[in-house]
Amino acid sequence: MKNDTLTLGRKHSWTEKYGPSFMLRVILLVFFVYFFLGFMVLPCINTVKSIFTVKDSTGKTDPLAVIKFFFAGSMPTYVWNSVKLAIGLVITVNVVGISIVLLTEYFDIKGARILRMGYQTTLIYSGVALVTGYLFLYDNDGIITSLLSNAFPNMNTNWFTGFYAVWFTMTFACTSNHALFLRNAIRGIDYNTVEAARNLGAKPFKVLFKVVFPTLIPTLFSLTVMTFITGLCAMSAPTLLGYDSINPEIVRLAGSSTADESFPQARAALLSIILALFTILLLTVLTMYERKGHYLSVSKTKAKLQKQKIANPVVNVLTHIYAYILFIIYMTPVVMIVIFSFQTYSAIRLKKLDFSKLTLINFFGKQDYEYLTSRGTYKTREGSISGLFSNDATLNGIKNSFFMSIVAAALACIIVVIACNYIFKHKKTGVILEYCLLLPWLLPTILICYSYRTYFNTGDIAYVFGNNLYYQNNVRILIILAYTVVKLPFSLRMIKAAFYAIDSELEDAARNLGAGSLVTFLRVKLPIILPSVLAVFALNFNALFTEYDMSATFASSYGTTYAMVIQSMCADEGLYGYNVNASGRRCASTVFIMIVSGLILYLVYGVGSRDLAERLEIKEKRKKRIEKLKAKFKKNAAVGPTEIKG
Amino acid sequence: MIKLDNIVVKFGEFTALHDINIHVKEGEFLTIRGPSGCGKTTTLRTITGCIEPAEGRVYVKGEDITDVPIEKRNIGIVFQSYALFPTMTVYDNIAFGLKIKKYKKKQIDDAVRTIAKKVDLSDEQLKKAVSQLSGGQQQRVAIARALVADPAIICMDEPLSNLDAKLRVQLRNELKNMQKDFGITSIYVTHDQEEALTLSDRIAVFNKGFIEQIGTPNEIYNHSATEFVCNFIGDINPLCDALTDAIGGIDKANHNYIRLERVRCNPDDTFVGAVFNGKVISREYYGLYIKYSVDIGLQTLKVIEKNDGVNIYDIGSEIKIGISANDIMSYNAQTGEAV
Repeated sequence: MKNDTLTLGRKHSWTEKYGPSFMLRVILLVFFVYFFLGFMVLPCINTVKSIFTVKDSTGKTDPLAVIKFFFAGSMPTYVWNSVKLAIGLVITVNVVGISIVLLTEYFDIKGARILRMGYQTTLIYSGVALVTGYLFLYDNDGIITSLLSNAFPNMNTNWFTGFYAVWFTMTFACTSNHALFLRNAIRGIDYNTVEAARNLGAKPFKVLFKVVFPTLIPTLFSLTVMTFITGLCAMSAPTLLGYDSINPEIVRLAGSSTADESFPQARAALLSIILALFTILLLTVLTMYERKGHYLSVSKTKAKLQKQKIANPVVNVLTHIYAYILFIIYMTPVVMIVIFSFQTYSAIRLKKLDFSKLTLINFFGKQDYEYLTSRGTYKTREGSISGLFSNDATLNGIKNSFFMSIVAAALACIIVVIACNYIFKHKKTGVILEYCLLLPWLLPTILICYSYRTYFNTGDIAYVFGNNLYYQNNVRILIILAYTVVKLPFSLRMIKAAFYAIDSELEDAARNLGAGSLVTFLRVKLPIILPSVLAVFALNFNALFTEYDMSATFASSYGTTYAMVIQSMCADEGLYGYNVNASGRRCASTVFIMIVSGLILYLVYGVGSRDLAERLEIKEKRKKRIEKLKAKFKKNAAVGPTEIKG
Repeated sequence: MIKLDNIVVKFGEFTALHDINIHVKEGEFLTIRGPSGCGKTTTLRTITGCIEPAEGRVYVKGEDITDVPIEKRNIGIVFQSYALFPTMTVYDNIAFGLKIKKYKKKQIDDAVRTIAKKVDLSDEQLKKAVSQLSGGQQQRVAIARALVADPAIICMDEPLSNLDAKLRVQLRNELKNMQKDFGITSIYVTHDQEEALTLSDRIAVFNKGFIEQIGTPNEIYNHSATEFVCNFIGDINPLCDALTDAIGGIDKANHNYIRLERVRCNPDDTFVGAVFNGKVISREYYGLYIKYSVDIGLQTLKVIEKNDGVNIYDIGSEIKIGISANDIMSYNAQTGEAV
């Protein structure tokens, strides 16, 4: 529709021009400007400014002090460590990611369905939960480490720490995107092209490298860039596994004071700006590459990809072995955590399974804890062993995360839906709004959170009515705002795609039948995009419910999230009954997260994706089933008395 | 009933409609035809209020509705895509407009069931999702939805274009009957010539945002006012100068044409006109008729003959071709207007 130009010819009355819809537009415009400037631009500008307004020891402002410090001190190490991790991950994540997709979608591997389930476990548990899972196996008292140290008594039990531990863990943690997007890309390949290549004499691996891979390059390029950024901005794995990279250092510096070290805040700001520059550079490269728009399918009739048999028996066996080794790596933490979540405290502590004493204590209820004191006497701490849902700290973390995630996920969706409605109606001005909402994509989450933490930690910001948003419970508002801002770009990309599915004639049809703009939006457009909006809401919630990076940056006891509680459970279980059963709750937490995430994914992709026709069919089937049952019941009731008589 | 008065529509710098004037009578079936991008749909959307003209006025029953918003015009629309709401059942689709107008539940139910009966939709189909219906059934839903609020006018934008050929013919007839039954003023946009000729009381032929001709199907076909209309409606043979000389009595300064069915194959002795010896060089079999290309030496002519199952000429056959000067349509070479 060319409404932008057409309305020029229309003569509006004063009331029509400045009526309720005009007022609503003005209010929304003011809100967007306020939101964009107040919560995306100004805090980040303040962070940049703080780098150049540092005072030296004489009290003079030295704009280059932090930069000089950067090159003189150990800060480049953090940057290099992050870059090293990112480069390492690009290699291994692509190798593993491509492998799992080829093994389940391209090659004919026995048990591919089960393998796929195993490889996709990272979709239902990630971040802190996943890292704790790996720690449960490979930590100094982990199951695998214990087994290995029994076999090799001289081995260093603290082997799972530092760069290699982070690299290993993140390699398997970061393949979720491959499991989703590369899988879709490979399934989208026209099988006729494979058949054509085979027909022209190419062998299977030649086909793979010459026909299949080139079509996957755009997806692989995007995944590579995203993996690099993930590696650069890694937080939970380096924190839990002890690796000095940028993000944990920013969090440490943000919590430090000038009494302890030189201008820690300004250094944190500099590090987050360095991250932002890396991100902007990489995303610019990605956008430029995407604009080229390679390898569009020219097929009029696509044939479904058929799995390729590996003809060479040796290669076939080796491929199967490789597939199942990957499966074991993916599944072992999951299986162990699920099993141990039903084990007693002592079984978890000793990492010895005892199927005779299965318990729900890690989830519900409390138990007393008896321990041996240094004086050689036994003491009991009442109710010290508590389950996930009986432990106040854990419950508070869950409540906090649940509340903040649900509000932020909803806010992001509402803002984006309103924005998309505007963007599609006003194409010229809509572009500006679109770019504003995509801005957080260029900024690392840690920069946004760090900027919020420093900028709003004062009562001088007029546009938030002089409230210190970092103070006590206010920090929850700040976290919700940060969550919302961070989720805007993803929500926009997904919901905008849903808006494209609305036929412009539907809007005309509704209006022709008498519906105004608002009714058309609420009753025609919204129901069409609702499944996508709910999916985005659910995915946002899923990601935020267990997020660690942002809440750790805020590091406020008033905004302790579930992931922070889980992280604290990784600390050594203390003496004398303190922090007892943390490992048990940790296992139970991971199981709980897997259930919540799995349920949400099922609701989104299982129930939520059904269209009206499918829903009506299910309703009809249900109705028939009930009628059948009723008829059976009636028949039984009629037969019943005769039987008694008999 | 409907009057478009000097309508101009612009999309930025591009003028889509130039000074359009149309008067549609009450109960009339007017079809708009023309090549892609000629302004057919734009005209329809201007009448319905989806587009606002830069200049000119739109009148319905003498009332100026140019500034009346789309939702208040009470003009039914059947869209090319049908634009059925995918998240609603068939019943809810038809009832949508009535619900918006806040009719009572009973009134809505009565109106929906009555119109559904008229367009041959069963109660069972009313409960279904639109995606569960066939293309033809969806088209009926779209018509029912447009008609349920009893509009004075219905505008249809290529409503049969998404259907297969057989269904298109069937629904075309039903559409005409429905229009007669309801007595509703209809404006119909189509690409399909057969549809335009069979359905319309009058046809408006558009070209590059201008109206070339408005007239009855016979006027448009047999008395095309411009060279464009003559070429656009139906198949035609342009005549070369040598042939016009041979026929005689025709001004070769004009552009001269003859319709395929006016060229006679093996004319009998009563035929008055020029007769040429020709040779069949190709044959296209259409079932109802057969189209031949015949080389008469001066040029090749396309000819159609009724398929009587007996007189079917093979390629290479020698036949006689008769052309009467009265059947020739002449147009001024400069203005393109009929002479």
